[in-house]
Amino acid sequence: MREALMQELERIAKNDSKVLLLTGDHGATLFDKFRKSFPRQYINMGIAEQNMVGVAAGLSRAGFKPFVYGLSAFIPIRVLEQIKIDVCHDNLPVIFLGDGAGFVYSHLGTSHQSTEDIAVTRVIPNLSVLSPADKLEMSQSIKLSYSSNAPVYLRIGKSDAGNIHTKDVAFSMGDLIPIKKSNGDLHFIATGSMVSLAQKLCKKFVGSGLSSAPSLKPINSNQVIDICKNNKRVVTIEEHSVYGGLGSIIAEIISLEPLTKLHRIGVNDRFSEFCGSYNYLLREHGLDLISLESNVLDFLDSDS
Amino acid sequence: MNNSINCLDLRKTVLDMAFNGSTVHIACAFSIIEILAVIYRSHLRYSFEDREDPNRDYLILSKGHGVMAQYACMKELGWLSSEDIKNYFSDGTLLKGLSDSRVPGLEVSSGSLGHGLSVAVGLAFAAKLNGTDQKTYVVVGDGELNEGPIWEAIQFAGHHKLSNLMIIVDKNNFQAMGKTSEIIRQDNIQNQIKSFEFLVKTINGHDEDLINQTIVNLWDSKSEMPKGIVAETLKGKGISFMEDSNEWHYSRLNEKLYKKALAELETLR
Repeated sequence: MREALMQELERIAKNDSKVLLLTGDHGATLFDKFRKSFPRQYINMGIAEQNMVGVAAGLSRAGFKPFVYGLSAFIPIRVLEQIKIDVCHDNLPVIFLGDGAGFVYSHLGTSHQSTEDIAVTRVIPNLSVLSPADKLEMSQSIKLSYSSNAPVYLRIGKSDAGNIHTKDVAFSMGDLIPIKKSNGDLHFIATGSMVSLAQKLCKKFVGSGLSSAPSLKPINSNQVIDICKNNKRVVTIEEHSVYGGLGSIIAEIISLEPLTKLHRIGVNDRFSEFCGSYNYLLREHGLDLISLESNVLDFLDSDS
Repeated sequence: MNNSINCLDLRKTVLDMAFNGSTVHIACAFSIIEILAVIYRSHLRYSFEDREDPNRDYLILSKGHGVMAQYACMKELGWLSSEDIKNYFSDGTLLKGLSDSRVPGLEVSSGSLGHGLSVAVGLAFAAKLNGTDQKTYVVVGDGELNEGPIWEAIQFAGHHKLSNLMIIVDKNNFQAMGKTSEIIRQDNIQNQIKSFEFLVKTINGHDEDLINQTIVNLWDSKSEMPKGIVAETLKGKGISFMEDSNEWHYSRLNEKLYKKALAELETLR
């Protein structure tokens, strides 16, 4: 998925000399090729994220198109005010790339884990929020971000979860991508890293369906309502707090009419307690396959 | 450039706005009157017709709460009308109590402190990348120097030799709740900024000739370094009962005090 990110960025930078890649001294070897190919379009801004976003706003005002890279624990969390005031207030086309979202930095603890970013970005006017699940969704997300001519937060979660799609996905801003049709009983809506797990989960629940939500803001509410109308139960799954993320988005949309019984699965408003592997932390938060299965079974039992 | 800009007129406009809108932040505007007057009068390149002219120089008020001083200059340029001044803070009007980038002629939204300088650095950096001769002036408050991003921006500007950037610190020795010397001491601003490879001068921030000559000298130096001016000012400068006190950061004018202040200005004409 990160290769797809860089391929798209390199393609765009090659065709548009106004595209700049700014990093807050993060990315390790990710940018090696980009730096070599486009030395004038790559700027390491130092370990100073607040200034980086302000400078990006200034560059954007003068006609540049900055992509601002950082870990999602810092971009957007640390610089939320700069994103709100310096960039989004004037709808400046700055693209924020928040890498390592969720529990990717499982061993590093709370400072580097990020399960609040969707909630805090989606309340900012003008800012779109994308959350691709695999390399094909990533390529399309970069294309959409670049062509939107407006600020975008692109959430990059666990990137080696495998591919969901087998051919290019030409979704537009707001679209959910149908992956598996349901028999009308149970449908999963997942985003980012959780789409891959939801695919596996589908096999455990015969007849269940699945949609991927790579665009969290905007989101096509008609599509959401259709899914909810056509299914007795809907389960949302995200590597993010249950507050303010995908589950909340769906709940907000269907709050006006009781279309289905909605059960939201995500991080239950808590920080990680212990150090451990990525998979360990998924278990701690009940986001591994076994926990998800029992969680859904409990939901179905309580409902029948 | 507009040679007719006169500091007594600017102060009168600030008093008018503050009285009409019953607003605070009067003293914060008065300390930067001469600085803005000199920049608009003799240095800033802009287009009367197109306030968004892409070839303009940039003037960024990072201490956005001093915005009435900038509105007063914009009135002299004909960018704001007497109606705008009269209706300040009325429902449905555009001019806010802090610098807001949606007002043509203002470059950034500031007031949350420590933002404007980074945006200014981005604009100066862009001019360097584009190879244009545009200059960027940015006015920061001394209290604002408490903010971390100010120093992030200063170290970036020094490293990248943004010689087209001029930071002007309005050193009026007060911040919102009291004297800077009692809150976060700042006895050495010139050397602090200089240590990040800036060319910095400290001057009397109310001496228009000196401000003008210092700006000329700094640009003429042809130094590769970004430029800085520590402008020693008086909070509330120009009105005796407001000078060098923090009371008029927050106080609002009643009719009696408004008339008293106007009368003081008239004695100086």
